[in-house]
Amino acid sequence: MIQKKICVLGAAGVGKTSLIAQFVYSKFSEKYLSSMGVKIDRKIVQLESQQVNLMIWDIHGEEKFKKITSSYFRGASGVIMVADGTRPDTLSVAQNIFQRVEQDVGNIPSVWLLNKVDLEDQWCMSEGVVKQLNEKYVSVYQSSAKTGENVEQTFFNIAENMLNV
Amino acid sequence: MSERLHHSCHAMPEILAKRLTLNATQRFQPAWLQLTKGGSDILTVGGAWQHYFDVSPRLGTDVSEACEVLLGMLPLVDDFELSQIQLVDGQYTDVIALCDHDSDWLLFCDVSEETEKFQKYQQISNDLLLLQGQHQRTLNRYVGSEVVRRDAEGGLSIKAKGERRVISTLFTDIRGFTPFNESQDAQVVIETLNEYMTCMLDPILNQAGMIDKITGDGAMAVFGVLDSEHGCIDDAFVAGKQILKAVQTLNEQRQKQGLEQLGVGVGIASGEAVLGMLGTHHRRCFTAIGPHVNRAARLESNAPAGDILLDRDSYLALHQPIDCLPMSLNLKGIGDTCVYVWHHKKTNT
Repeated sequence: MIQKKICVLGAAGVGKTSLIAQFVYSKFSEKYLSSMGVKIDRKIVQLESQQVNLMIWDIHGEEKFKKITSSYFRGASGVIMVADGTRPDTLSVAQNIFQRVEQDVGNIPSVWLLNKVDLEDQWCMSEGVVKQLNEKYVSVYQSSAKTGENVEQTFFNIAENMLNV
Repeated sequence: MSERLHHSCHAMPEILAKRLTLNATQRFQPAWLQLTKGGSDILTVGGAWQHYFDVSPRLGTDVSEACEVLLGMLPLVDDFELSQIQLVDGQYTDVIALCDHDSDWLLFCDVSEETEKFQKYQQISNDLLLLQGQHQRTLNRYVGSEVVRRDAEGGLSIKAKGERRVISTLFTDIRGFTPFNESQDAQVVIETLNEYMTCMLDPILNQAGMIDKITGDGAMAVFGVLDSEHGCIDDAFVAGKQILKAVQTLNEQRQKQGLEQLGVGVGIASGEAVLGMLGTHHRRCFTAIGPHVNRAARLESNAPAGDILLDRDSYLALHQPIDCLPMSLNLKGIGDTCVYVWHHKKTNT
């Protein structure tokens, strides 16, 4: 079976771990637990053509004094870039990380998530920002780790894209 | 294939050997693998490998069978370090990869204790960061992001006992709101109000204005409290123009949807005012008090929809000349006053 490594990247507290927990274990917790280093989860997905064993790297959030080291990106076939739709500054953090990914690993498939779309009253991403992201990147979703909105689609999308490279 | 594991590290590069010694006092002893140069087959295994691998690493086999974390990283082409990799049992390890002359090396060092300690600090730090962001967003909604930013930088200080400054005050209000309110369902009214208030408040905040109060269907804002390169009257006038333009755009959208359109009038006056904090220790609010504030309110109440009425002081203080119509108005409680009328010309948007 084909194995592929995916890195899930973004600022601290954007919901990376929750997205993975929703996808792999169908679980969600309201409690925020800050991730350390890297936690690796696995899930086999059945695509139309074949099965793929996804090795999902949940990498700690980028912080001002704790940057993500590029060695984590080694061997990655795809990246899921996550921003928090209620905190616009997390989008620029994700874009900075993505620049480093491109420098180190080259052009690999990416899916962009504006997460926490369930928090309607706190949502800060304007239609203009979403449009700009859609113009710049192929796959952009508004997701919710809480409700599961677009979570499965994200991982299937990246799996398909990685196979098509 | 021999299953015997070699527990020797005599050929290990010095830098790894040092690291091995440094980590010897950790909860779990380190482990190492020696690999074929430029390949990924295991030559020797040593240390507490049982702690780090789910599958026993067998000599002569590919290392990725025992250590999935290295997927896509083999054969080694340069040195690297993977910090704080969480193992299946929840413990953490650093993985150090080193390319030597004749073989490549992987060292696994337990870092669980430091990681657990650091996690507590990071949790507190991130919780505070998220809480700070939450408070900032709440404040942004009520006083504007620029005010919050300047306050955080210490650039916004108003003495509680009052401070005299020359400022411009802008009043804006929806025309025909009362009959609209009476003829519509309350839910429709609040949704409509929110649409118009966005048109009215965003331009104020964008021009370094401070919203003093929101009066249901209107607002009072002051310019000159926050520093600005343009000057308070120019900021107030630009904000007024942007309000009328935004309202025009909104009305065009509402017209297409068959919804009722509302107009907005603006009044601006300038002069010296006392800025201060009113209220008790528990609940205070910023306010501006001065004769021109009342004048601005009267100008707004006389401004037809789509017009800005300026007092003489404001008009004369503008840095950019504007196309205005001077006229005399009898303002309630003030008397005959020279005012300047600027009319928003509808543009195709």
